[in-house]
Amino acid sequence: MRRVILAIVTTAVVLVLLLSFKSHTSTSPLAPTAAAGPDPSTGSASTGSTSTGIPVTSSSATPTATSASGGSPAGAKTVTGDVVQTIYGPVQVKITVAGGRVTAAEAIQYPDGTPRDDQINAFAIPQLQQETIGVSTPDIDAISGATYTSQGYIGSLQSALDKAGL
Amino acid sequence: MTAVTARSGAPSLDARPRAHPQLVLALIAAGAVAVIALWWHGTPSVHGFGDWLTNAGRITGLEAGYAVVVLVALMARLPPLERGVGADRLARWHSMGGKYTIGLVVAHGLLIIWGYAVTAHTTVVHQAWTLLDNYPDVLMATVAGLLLVGVGITSANAARRRLRYETWYYLHLYTYLAVALAFSHQFADGAEFISNAAARFAWAALYIAVFAGIFWYRFVTPVGQAFRHRLRVVSVQAEAPGVVSIVIGGRHVTELRAEAGQFFRWRFLTRDLWWTSAPYSLSAPPAPDRLRITVKAQGEHSQALRELRPGTRVITEGPYGALTAAVRRNRKVLLIAGGVGITPLRALLETLPAGPGDLTLIYRVSNLRDAVFRRELEQLAEQRRAKVWFVAGTRDELGGDPLTAGQLTRRVPDLIHHDVYLCGPPGLTDSVARELLRAGLRRRQIHYESFEF
Repeated sequence: MRRVILAIVTTAVVLVLLLSFKSHTSTSPLAPTAAAGPDPSTGSASTGSTSTGIPVTSSSATPTATSASGGSPAGAKTVTGDVVQTIYGPVQVKITVAGGRVTAAEAIQYPDGTPRDDQINAFAIPQLQQETIGVSTPDIDAISGATYTSQGYIGSLQSALDKAGL
Repeated sequence: MTAVTARSGAPSLDARPRAHPQLVLALIAAGAVAVIALWWHGTPSVHGFGDWLTNAGRITGLEAGYAVVVLVALMARLPPLERGVGADRLARWHSMGGKYTIGLVVAHGLLIIWGYAVTAHTTVVHQAWTLLDNYPDVLMATVAGLLLVGVGITSANAARRRLRYETWYYLHLYTYLAVALAFSHQFADGAEFISNAAARFAWAALYIAVFAGIFWYRFVTPVGQAFRHRLRVVSVQAEAPGVVSIVIGGRHVTELRAEAGQFFRWRFLTRDLWWTSAPYSLSAPPAPDRLRITVKAQGEHSQALRELRPGTRVITEGPYGALTAAVRRNRKVLLIAGGVGITPLRALLETLPAGPGDLTLIYRVSNLRDAVFRRELEQLAEQRRAKVWFVAGTRDELGGDPLTAGQLTRRVPDLIHHDVYLCGPPGLTDSVARELLRAGLRRRQIHYESFEF
């Protein structure tokens, strides 16, 4: 019996030690290739050559000024943010801005491919999109359990807001 | 019913490779550390409670996947392990490690469900269902986990005593199925493997190597031996109530390089017995054309041996065991047998090189009627000028333990200059070994074998 308790306690202690070391490692949640900023040179200087991810492009550097037709308020425009690489895959955000605020947000790229990704995105992406509505800065809360996706989303949102001139 | 061997003490003169037990344990531990390194390498960092649980689940899962293959390797009859660690110590490691591994498997399942549920802000029940339904191969892995838990329950000491050996043996075969079922979810869902081809390669190589070892040493080698030696039952003879000797004859028996004191695993090809191989010690020195074992009826297997017909084909694995003349250091030798543990010692009494008075045999039985080989032992004692003591009776009848340090020192003059060969049920070998140490012997002077089921 003593042996059983010893085995359980030892295992638990080792686990806690390992995990607390791991939670103190200050690895950036973004992959090395990530370049949240709009500066394309940061992206091209990326060292993460192993990443098969989409290169950091100022993809819609041409702010697609989808003319405010129909019911959209005057001056509404849709902007696509940079692709931000996270260790789980690329994240990219498309927002619609009107009157200095975000009126619509959509994650057009996010990590998928494993059931785990799908499950995390199923709750994280709608929440992130929800949080984005009405903001003018990228200061939204990361979603617990989807730290990396959140960081990627916030990075891409930042670049989109920059392009939209907010 | 099972005579298996552990060795303690002096290195053998036998030059075939043998693994040192401490070295084997160190290797196993190094592997476990490497597995943790794999997790460390594949995990960016841990944020929040859900991540803590999930990563604890990953570590326990990885270690369980590693442990299960180590457990199989311990039972693969790898010759350096059999010779260096000994079958009974391997069986003990396997049993302890098995229980621990089942703990890891259960912890892995629960932690992953809980961790994913916390992260996804859902209930544990819903998360469990999602895992079974959406994640590849998790359903198979769950079946595997339940099989392992079932085997674990039936192997637990309490249940084991109530189960027939045969039932337990059949149930144990399900662990192979469990290992196979659990394999694919490791690559399909394991974060450490999905994006790491080198890890997948190393992991698969480990599994393949161990299963190739099992196949080679537990299947190919015995079948090869069967064709070469064509062993058959020659005769079956009653020795004492419930005890039979079986003589097995064949060709080229000397090539097996069996020695007095060793055992084989025997598979008798009858309708009822072919599926299991049981370890029994040689009870006489091997002759060029025949081997003899002596078996006490305890389980159905040993019961059925009494009805063996001459001519029955036999497949063997072995020889195993290090309780041979090779471990001896001193001129004087004391053999201590408990019950049917007399078998390997009876063979040693006949063959150990010794001058008059160098050999002493103490044979502990609860009742003199249970003593086997009485005439043979008396004849051998006379031929070899050896002393043979029968110690019969329960502790109550004898007024205490007859094999204490004091008693042994009194019965065996010059006790501390003896090598002691000890074979019997675990309780007896443990207590006698302790008493011998108390009498002043060194560990390396004590060589023991214990019977386990």
